Formats: sequence, C-alpha cells, structure tokens
Amino acid sequence: MLIRVDHHSGVPVYRQLVEQVRFHVASGLLAPGEEMPSTRSLSAELALNPMTVSKAYALLEREGLLERRPGLPLVVSALSTRERDAERRARLSDQLRASATMARQLGIGPAEALRLFRALLGEQERERR
Amino acid sequence: MTGPVGGYAFEFRGVTKRFKHTVALDRVDLAVPAGAVVGLIGRNGSGKSTLLRHVVGLYLPSEGACVTLGQAAAALDAGTLARIGVVQQEADFIPWMRVGQQLRYLSSFYDRWDRVLEDRLVRDLELDRTARIGTLPPGNLQKLALVLAFCHHPDLVLLDEPVSALDPLAREAMLRFLLEVARTDGPTLVVSSHVLRDVERVVDRVICLEQGRVTEHAELDELLERWAEWKVTAHHGTLPQHLPEPWVVQQEGAGREARLLVRDAAGELQAFRSAYRAEVEVRPVTLERLFPRLIGRP
Repeated sequence: MLIRVDHHSGVPVYRQLVEQVRFHVASGLLAPGEEMPSTRSLSAELALNPMTVSKAYALLEREGLLERRPGLPLVVSALSTRERDAERRARLSDQLRASATMARQLGIGPAEALRLFRALLGEQERERR
Repeated sequence: MTGPVGGYAFEFRGVTKRFKHTVALDRVDLAVPAGAVVGLIGRNGSGKSTLLRHVVGLYLPSEGACVTLGQAAAALDAGTLARIGVVQQEADFIPWMRVGQQLRYLSSFYDRWDRVLEDRLVRDLELDRTARIGTLPPGNLQKLALVLAFCHHPDLVLLDEPVSALDPLAREAMLRFLLEVARTDGPTLVVSSHVLRDVERVVDRVICLEQGRVTEHAELDELLERWAEWKVTAHHGTLPQHLPEPWVVQQEGAGREARLLVRDAAGELQAFRSAYRAEVEVRPVTLERLFPRLIGRP
C-alpha cells in the first residue's frame, strides 16, 4: 500500500493516513477482505509515532471502512456497490470543490469550466490509448 | 514501564522560579501523561532548560512543587533517578577519557544497561570509541549524550535541544531513533527545541513556553485541527478592514480579498459565506505559522 506523509503540511498526520486509505478503498486498490499492516509495522515503515497510526485506524473503523476482528489484523470492509460508488463520488467531489472555488475566483463561468473539464478528461483518455 | 500515580510522568503545581530579580518560571501548572512524546517549544531564554532541570531536581522551585515519576522531584531516590535519562545542552563529560571508557564508567551505575543497544547506537551515530572526549566536536558530544541517556531503557527521557549541534544526516538518524524508542519502550519523551520542523515529526503533544509561562499545552493534532487559514474572496468587496467575528484571530487584506487566521471556526463557514457573499478556501496551518500565536504574540 502506497502511503505518503508530509510532516510540514499542517494537516495532522493521522488525517493524511485516513484520507489516503479512504482513497485506496474507493479506487479499489485496497480490496475488501485485504489485511491492513499492523499499527507497529506501518508506524515503523513510515517512521511515525504508533499513536498516530492507531488513531487513524480507529477513525477508519468508526467510519466502517475497516473491520476489526479479535486477535486478527484489521481488514478492509466489504462495501456494497452503492456504498463504494458514494465513496468514489465523495472523493472526487472533494477535489472538484476546490476547483469550483477557483473557477469562481477567476470569474470562469459554469459552461466554460465544464468545457475545460471535459477537454481535460478527453485529453487523458487519448493519452491512455 | 512507568507507573506514576495518576498516570503522569511529571507534574508541576504552581511552580515559580526566581533567580535574583529574574522570574525564570512563572506559576507553571503542568501534568504530562506517561508515555507521551512532548515537544517543549519556546524561543531562546523562554525557560525550557530551567523547566527540565526542575523535573530532575537539579533546580528547586522558589514556590510550588514538582512531582516526577510519583516522587517529589526535590528528593528523587537512586531507584527513580535510574529510570530517567537526560540529555543536557552542554554535556559534562570527563575530558581525558576515551568514548569507550566513558560509556563503561557511566553504564556501571545502571542495572538495566543494554550493551546490544549501546553497540548499535554507537555504530548508527558513527561514534569512535577510541576518541578522547576532550577532542570531540560538539555534534559528537551530543551523540554520546544521547547514547548515555537511552541505553538503560529509561521510563522518562528529557532532551534539551538534542539535535541542535547535529548535521542533517545525524539529525535524521536521531529523529528516527526517537521514533523507534517511542514504538518499542514507550517511555515519556520530552524534547525541547526552538526548531519546530524537527519537533513536529516526533511529538504528539506540545507545550509552549514564553517568558517562563506555559502559554499552550495541547495535543498536536488537536492544535492543528483547531486552527485554519481562510483565503476569502468577496466578489462584491464587502470585507471590512476588521472583521468583527471573534474567531478571526488575524486578518490581512480587506474589500475583495483577505487572508484570515481563524480558530475553532469550522462551524461558522456556511454563515460566513452567505453573510459576505464570499468564496472561502480553507487551508491547514503549520505549527511554524502558529507558533507566534501560541506564545501570545501578534
């Protein structure tokens, strides 16, 4: 699992972990039933205080994205298709909200902004082929 | 493991310390939970070293009391002292000894001395056992002090500016080691520093000192989540010179655009947006940016 942490961004590190795990769950990179690294090993790998990792895991568990089974590693929850779609849309919306704000700040109207977004989507589609 | 009464590694109760006409600590009340990794931050001369010296009874309060690992700090017994590790800013070793001799000499005072850990640290920090203490550069003295502070697996470690004399590589090795100790032994660590970027990585709790007073004591995450920067754009230019909202701590700009430093304001976002017909971009704030605020300065 690829997780990166920026210690000087001002975003609490446990929040960064939560966001990235959420993203991996939404994108399917973390599949249902997959085992998460233990608090100890993930904190060793990322050179973090273990409290930070357990705090992130606890939050993800509360949100229902991870499941704890007594004595076993945490696993990724099996989300329904509907839940996972909602999760994916929520992730993209977070990103687009910032873009929407910027469009308004720059005085770019909705039609123009949508046209740009479509063009960008098409551009990446062409690059992938 | 630490087993202090009430789960605190140390406590200050109304501690004031005067040196002649200077007040070095001013009515300090503190309770540091066992197992915490604490950053003690403040400018030079704010009282960081003085505070740490009180914890081990090297200074006695003019007023108030310190309790360390459940004992009066003024009268720590040998057993309790052996559970504490200290790295002072100016290490005081025996100049004619070689590094190896100094290690042997001081390790003989501790029952819990870990030779394996000692070997590893000496290797990782690239210390030469045959070098004479008197000829060591400040950085290597600091490394030696670190080895001596940790090899008896202490329950409480006080580090006064532990990385100030280290080069970036040694600093990195040192920070990694602190994190590893926090993961394995889980002692209470107190790291004083005026370099916020170093502290930010390791600590889960922050104590701010200014002119001998504790101006903030909080969990780092909580602190970062309480504060934010808002980049505000009001298309109709309705932002006043001084926004009246009490949670706006600092304001730069007015009219169409402003940058605000806000505290506990997450719930105010919607109302603010509609009141000023403004776009708000919420950004996180770094400890570095917050620091002046945390010590009560503009």
